[in-house]
Amino acid sequence: MLIFDQLKKDDPHLRLVAIAVLSGLGVLLAGLWWVQVVSARDYQANLETQSFRTVRIPAVRGKILDRNGVALAESRPTYNVSLYLEELHKAFQAAYSVKARRAQAELKQNQKELEKKLHRKLTKAERKQFIFTLQAQILLRQQARYEVASNVVLQVNQRLRQPLWLNPTNFERHYETRLALPCPVLTNLNAAQIARFEEQSTSRIGVDLELQSTRNYPFETTAAHILGHLRRDDDSKEGEESFFSFRLPDYRGVIGVEYGFDKELRGTAGAKSVLVNNAGYRQTENTWSEAKPGDNVVTTIDLRLQQVAEHALQSVSGSATRGAAVVMEVHTGDILAMASSPTFNPNSFLPSLSPADGQRIAEQHAEENRATIENYQPGSIFKTVVGLACLEAGLDPNATIDNPGYIDVGRYRVHDLARPGTYDFHRALKMSSNTYFVDKGLHVAGISNIVKLAQRLHLGERTGLPTRQEVPGIFPSLKKVGANWQDGDTANMCIGQGPMAVTPIQMAVLASALANGGKVLWPRLVDRIETADPTVGAPPKSFPATRVRDELGVKASNLQIVRKAMLADVEEDGTGRAAAVPGMSICGKTGTAQVKNEHNETIGETTWFLSFAPYDEPRYAVVVMVEMEARRGSGGGTCGPVAKEIYIAIRDLERSAPGKPQTLAKDR
Amino acid sequence: MFDSALQYHESRIDRVQVVALCGLMILGALFVYSATMVSASASLAPWYNQSWFRQIIWYVLGTGAAAALCCVDYHTIARWSMIAYWFAVLLLAVVLFFGTVRFGARRWFDLGFFSLQPSEFSKLAFILAQAHFLSRPVEELRVPLIFWKALGLMMLPFILILKEPDLGSALVLLPTGLAMLFVAGTPRRFLVWMFVCVGILGALFVADVLFMPVKWQVNLEEYQRRRLLVYFGTQDSPPAGASKADQARLRRQQFDYSHNVRQALISVGSGGLTGKGWRQGTQNALGYLPRSVAHNDFIFSVIAEESGFVGSVIVLTLYGVVLFTGIRIAGQARDRLGKLMAVGVITLLFSHVFINIGMNIRIMPVTGVPLPLLSYGGSSVLGSLIAMGILQNVHIYRKTY
Repeated sequence: MLIFDQLKKDDPHLRLVAIAVLSGLGVLLAGLWWVQVVSARDYQANLETQSFRTVRIPAVRGKILDRNGVALAESRPTYNVSLYLEELHKAFQAAYSVKARRAQAELKQNQKELEKKLHRKLTKAERKQFIFTLQAQILLRQQARYEVASNVVLQVNQRLRQPLWLNPTNFERHYETRLALPCPVLTNLNAAQIARFEEQSTSRIGVDLELQSTRNYPFETTAAHILGHLRRDDDSKEGEESFFSFRLPDYRGVIGVEYGFDKELRGTAGAKSVLVNNAGYRQTENTWSEAKPGDNVVTTIDLRLQQVAEHALQSVSGSATRGAAVVMEVHTGDILAMASSPTFNPNSFLPSLSPADGQRIAEQHAEENRATIENYQPGSIFKTVVGLACLEAGLDPNATIDNPGYIDVGRYRVHDLARPGTYDFHRALKMSSNTYFVDKGLHVAGISNIVKLAQRLHLGERTGLPTRQEVPGIFPSLKKVGANWQDGDTANMCIGQGPMAVTPIQMAVLASALANGGKVLWPRLVDRIETADPTVGAPPKSFPATRVRDELGVKASNLQIVRKAMLADVEEDGTGRAAAVPGMSICGKTGTAQVKNEHNETIGETTWFLSFAPYDEPRYAVVVMVEMEARRGSGGGTCGPVAKEIYIAIRDLERSAPGKPQTLAKDR
Repeated sequence: MFDSALQYHESRIDRVQVVALCGLMILGALFVYSATMVSASASLAPWYNQSWFRQIIWYVLGTGAAAALCCVDYHTIARWSMIAYWFAVLLLAVVLFFGTVRFGARRWFDLGFFSLQPSEFSKLAFILAQAHFLSRPVEELRVPLIFWKALGLMMLPFILILKEPDLGSALVLLPTGLAMLFVAGTPRRFLVWMFVCVGILGALFVADVLFMPVKWQVNLEEYQRRRLLVYFGTQDSPPAGASKADQARLRRQQFDYSHNVRQALISVGSGGLTGKGWRQGTQNALGYLPRSVAHNDFIFSVIAEESGFVGSVIVLTLYGVVLFTGIRIAGQARDRLGKLMAVGVITLLFSHVFINIGMNIRIMPVTGVPLPLLSYGGSSVLGSLIAMGILQNVHIYRKTY
């Protein structure tokens, strides 16, 4: 063989040359083997990290619909005008070289002039100031880039006939950190702007429309607390690739259904890789995984009722009204409307909340869903529970007591707002007599029976709404009332005050239970989750209606007595007259609880109206709660008209949907 | 492709070597194409102006020159060698004053259509002159004066090329001259002495660059110093009390300095076993491997990235075939002149290959040494082919007729 022939040669000099050459080639071969075979993987990884940028593409967020399919929250395509920097690369460089040449010439010129003035050559130290420094070059490059880019923006200006300005700091930051992505100049174009941009598409070097998906709440503040709002969060969610070079804007639900069903609404983010050249400009793109759009969440809300409820609630004292209204279907537990005031516009959180809005929301506690997240004392509406407990304990509803206008419990005197006179159960509930219910609660039912009934109503426990905003309320346990419990405490509780608190949603469950014959239901806010295109993909995931949580376990006759008294409260001369609606027999109970500060001074009132209708065949429970200044409102006077407006709307809706008179629930 | 003159001697040329050379030239044309046809502007140029075509032209011209060289006995050529040598030295001297400056070095004559790099040809002239000088009877080589003269013959172009500066081209003269001295039969003690001296000087030089404070250092071009620092993996330590920004800037700067070496290594390594395919390499296309060097000094990175370890082995094999047929030619040479010429050419070729491929895989520092026949460049291709012509000449005229 060629090589060994040379090695065997008896010319020692040439043999040494051959050995040297052979070993040299051997070294190269070993080196290449090491680099290309053994450590190839490392270098391939190196290559990828330096030339690939991965981008997280959030999926289109699913819609939130009302029970009739009206979108309450949707993601709609919006267009941005964006600069495509890789197309401007050449222009950047051309502009820079012009500037650089000019700057160098100027430096030279200045140097010459100075030399002329001094009549001598400059020293080395003096010449230093005329050197075209690296800093100067970087600065010139920046200027050149900005000039080119802002010229392009100027052209867009003329095209869109809208003054636009490219912020130099933002542009520079984008160039430094997100070069591989388009740089947005104008976001959220309207239809006319899109048309103008598209029609004059003669020269579009470096600028084009970029499609984006933006969350939109078309009914603005309507159902804001149910829907919740989003917050910017580009992070990877669990089960996703966690390393990305860039992330496109993404959002996460903070409260409401947006929070509770964030995972379903969000879908699955996709990923693309961008191949960049050594200067960091984009060369090509490659989609690794498509983003999978999020699912739609169909709520039990009826938009029309929701709007009416909000309007009615805010008729008390405008947008500053502090209160809540809940409309629930008594047989299914479906929440048809859940209004809370003050409210907010979920759109204002996107892309980010302005300081002014933020301050207002913080001052008014507008983010709080008052139907679920605040503890309120129920006041007299709790007499329905106390009354039922008494009847179950054997109270004769026809037996009467004499009401002197107050009742003394130990050293403690409870005043009665109801006129002094003779009261039986019916009249006492209708007129909301404190004397009667304190007396009967203490001597007929007893605290433990009241607590047992309240436990079956699950007071003091959450109702399990998926909106993140819920408190359990407060209710003493049997153990607590067994020891160190005074009659005064019981007396307080009989009129819905003392150591207890409820939320309007719990009261809606109570009203439904009174109406539907004693079933304590889980309230239902979401009907089903379906894929973005319901005709394809997995079948929708439904949440069953009428989930019974507990039974009141009271006699139907007793319930009927309470119902009759509640009907009289509205229809006769009771405290709830203001809620009466012609053509609809409403059963109601008013309540007012004093809010006291730590010095036992009354600082406000919680006014209530607990109701359901129609009397013969109850279908709807309506609970209204409004927080008032002290001595400014009453359950009947403040909340009654709100309920009335809601009942009118229900009546009209039922009438306008002939053939489906049963309930709104089937009105799809 | 081959000239009629070559065909005339067809029976006597070393055909194995010619086949290997053709293989190298085909690879060269293919990968110069791949390395240069990456940008839109490059592919827009008329085809006759494109690098790959010009490279082929140089192959043809070079082959022609080599064939023409084969028509004359190398003894005749050797008689002109001293003239060629002094002419080359003159050119090297002139280029220092009148050459065009590129990348901070004055190495070229701009002839419009082509820039002549005299150092490429001076290497050949040196081989011829040295062979001619050393082909005297062995006894004379024992005279120290002859040895010093031979050394002077080598040092003159060495220093001139170093002055350009072109460290790589200068350095390849050393092994070439040494090998020729060795094969000519210079007494071992001279060589040992020289080896020791060169070794000590080299070590002192490196130590000086790496460890001495700035004012004690030899006057090297900044980029040369940087390359050496990168090769030895040392870094300038930030001055005491430097701010964070300064330190970051310094780190960034050092990162930039090692850019070429790192990118070459990434190119070679990411090629893996079988490579990414012809024209599929990304390192060059995306500009990570600087475009200005991808088709000449770093052509091997492109080949290795696109054809992988397999391609690298093919390239090494082709060079191996050329080198070992060369050694065979040296062994079969008619006289010591032919043998010395052949050994000079082989060592020169080998040095180029070793330094160039070595710098692509970081076992040698970066120096501007082209890869013979594969790198783009007229002077280099012409020089390499003429050298091959000399080798073939020695082979053709190995017998006296």
